Amino acid sequence: MSESIFTVPVGPQHPALKEPENITLTLDGEQIIDAKIRLGYVHRGGEKALENRTYVQNLYLVERVCGICAMAHQLCYANNVEALLGIEAPPRARYIRTIVAELERIHSHLLWVGVAGHEIGFDTLFMYTWQDREIALDLMERITGNRVLHATNAIGGVRRDITSDMIPLIKKGLTYLGERIEYYRKLALGEKTIAKRAVGVGILKTQDALALCAVGPTARASNVRRDVREYDPYSAYDEMPFDVVTNDGCDVAARIFVRIDELEQCARILEYAVDHLPEGPIKVRAPRSVPQGENVSIVEAPRGEDIHYCKSNGSDRPERYKIRAPTLANWASMRKMLIGGSMADVPIVLAAIDPCMSCTDRVAFLDAKSGKSWAWSYEQLKKYVQKHYGE
Amino acid sequence: MDLFGLLIYPGLIFLLALAWFYEWLDRRFFARLQNRYGPIYTGPHGLLQPVADFVKLLAKEDIEPAAVDKPLFRCVPILVLTLPLAVLFLIPMSGVSAFIHFEGDLIFTIFIMTLLAILAFLGGWSSTSRFSTLGGLRAAMQTLGYEVPLAIVLIGPALVARSLSITRIVEWQASNGLWIVVLTPLGFGIAVLAMLAELEKIPFDIPEAETEIVAGWQTEFSGRKLALMRLALDLELVLSAGLISALFLGGPSGPVPFIPNIIWFLIKATFVVLILTNLRALFARFKIDQMVSGSWKYLVPLAVLQILILQLLLR
Amino acid sequence: MEGELLRHLAKKPATMQYPFEKFQPVEGTRAKIEIDMVKCIGCGTCVFDCPAFALEMVGKGMTCDMKWYPMRCVYCGQCVESCPRNAIKQTDEFALAKTRKEELVSEFKRSKKE
Repeated sequence: MSESIFTVPVGPQHPALKEPENITLTLDGEQIIDAKIRLGYVHRGGEKALENRTYVQNLYLVERVCGICAMAHQLCYANNVEALLGIEAPPRARYIRTIVAELERIHSHLLWVGVAGHEIGFDTLFMYTWQDREIALDLMERITGNRVLHATNAIGGVRRDITSDMIPLIKKGLTYLGERIEYYRKLALGEKTIAKRAVGVGILKTQDALALCAVGPTARASNVRRDVREYDPYSAYDEMPFDVVTNDGCDVAARIFVRIDELEQCARILEYAVDHLPEGPIKVRAPRSVPQGENVSIVEAPRGEDIHYCKSNGSDRPERYKIRAPTLANWASMRKMLIGGSMADVPIVLAAIDPCMSCTDRVAFLDAKSGKSWAWSYEQLKKYVQKHYGE
Repeated sequence: MDLFGLLIYPGLIFLLALAWFYEWLDRRFFARLQNRYGPIYTGPHGLLQPVADFVKLLAKEDIEPAAVDKPLFRCVPILVLTLPLAVLFLIPMSGVSAFIHFEGDLIFTIFIMTLLAILAFLGGWSSTSRFSTLGGLRAAMQTLGYEVPLAIVLIGPALVARSLSITRIVEWQASNGLWIVVLTPLGFGIAVLAMLAELEKIPFDIPEAETEIVAGWQTEFSGRKLALMRLALDLELVLSAGLISALFLGGPSGPVPFIPNIIWFLIKATFVVLILTNLRALFARFKIDQMVSGSWKYLVPLAVLQILILQLLLR
Repeated sequence: MEGELLRHLAKKPATMQYPFEKFQPVEGTRAKIEIDMVKCIGCGTCVFDCPAFALEMVGKGMTCDMKWYPMRCVYCGQCVESCPRNAIKQTDEFALAKTRKEELVSEFKRSKKE
């Protein structure tokens, strides 16, 4: 190894990361010349656990794939099972699902703006955004009973209704959030130190974004117009007025602007949904056994496109359930974004794709030459862990 | 030798208490700007929190990684604590004269402050871990950025008072009833910014960037060594605030004659600390190349310009 | 930005000094489970539907007792919906921590008449 080139491991434990992942950077001074990414630290065996529980129990297990986008995962699951059963949620339930999903998007994006501020050393922004996020969390607690992990979906509808005394609270919260979102947009545009850290950093050109299958705000900030709510509407999104936000900056600053503009669109959807909430039941009765079949459902989680696949075999437990979380699709473009930058850019570039490792981690073994794939048993996993981390 | 003055007031005990008080003030003000409380629990209004942190760190295990350069690794915390303490005796606090003063002690102070930055580099270098090395390199590069404009603008007050002794500068401001900041406002601003870089506070806390390189050059220090280093950083804060208030804001003297000098010193130094904390809450962190190039593109020309204007004014 | 910073100096901090300040839980929040053993018919649907296996039936049928484990529960409220007799209720008592593990089980027994 030459004198000025050395490797720095970022992760699995590092103050910049909210969740463990390992990126081994090869640095020449402060410049990054190579990056090697290794995931799998949060693998919890979720997909296997889903196979061992009934469809009703799985409602709550699926939402614990991720704490921040819990509603998105549970909504995807509910849509999946309802499609397999051949039932449809009533209109009021679809509107309530949209309302909670958009509130979750607000809370997730505000969380992200705060974390991005913390990564570039701007702790004040972190404190301010997380304080405003409390408004969204309090609203969700009032509507669903919990701040995160809402568990508001049931198979066939929603579990709790939005009563008329909740509506003025929602409107008041939305008015306040609207002002704060406007303030954050002005701050992102005007604050020079943020511009110095975010403009021209972590570039992902449009053709790279398309080739590496980026999703969500990461792709939309590289001018790839892709939003599930537009091309494959679910819940009540086909009746909601909103614009898909894209930005052609292709850098971290563009990702900041995309998320702040999406916050504004969320507020718009929420206003419309609350004003036009249809009357009617909130749930249809769903049988416990699901007939044989397969289904794929897609949902726009705050981080991008979330795909669930379900295979049922006529019993009350799924035979196979697979989750493709949005962050897994965005990791492929991470290497492209890191190389050529400097060490100081690493935290903000990592944060800019909004990584959610809890969503992402699945482990499968693949022999590249023979194409064979297999899985490990619990005993093999325990032996491997003891060998590598025991000493 | 005035033993009471050396050890108690305005000596060692007073300086330590002041260092801990300023850390408390810095944390409380920073927190209130961000709409939260800050330390309020330990002691009355949380005043004993920095002391509690110091005592806790003293009690923790002092881990020395096997690959460190042991003599240097052990010397750095001690040196980084004692050098600011030595220089603090040159700043007038309880009277218009400092405890020790000699002609040229301003240059000596600037020299010691540069030495502190080099100690940061040595601390990172002797730790031999990747993050420490990166932090040490950044500390050295940051020195290249801020030392020159700082030295230039700190000579400004010396030009006005025609002396290189901090005590004489304060005496000049007291006898002429004029604060030097009126003559060199730009110099005051540049001095405050450069002090932020010297103290490694946001926007210039690059050598110690928590989210990028764990803790920079301080990563491998733990236990007693870390306690001494944190105390040293607090003492550097007292030194910077005291130096700026002595050179630009008239030091421990003021228009109203019945208030003792030490109160004037505390008021002015606290004011400087509050400015530094406010700037800390206002900005994001710069990158090292932006900091050095920005310093040479903007701060150095402005500092030279300030000295030229000062010379014209004094003519 | 500076104006925003200075404005916050005048505002009361956002932090709530719990537990010195009393905290009023939001209406409808999901916390502690309570089972009304008069209404319970011992069907076992709640035990079957619980995703965290936090409910346990001691005995069988109309003479059973129920046990609830606060440490295993995820406070989802599925048992409240599954019960055919609405015997389970979810209150807003959230401060459930105890210092001994043995105290972390709630037993709901039927009152023995006669």
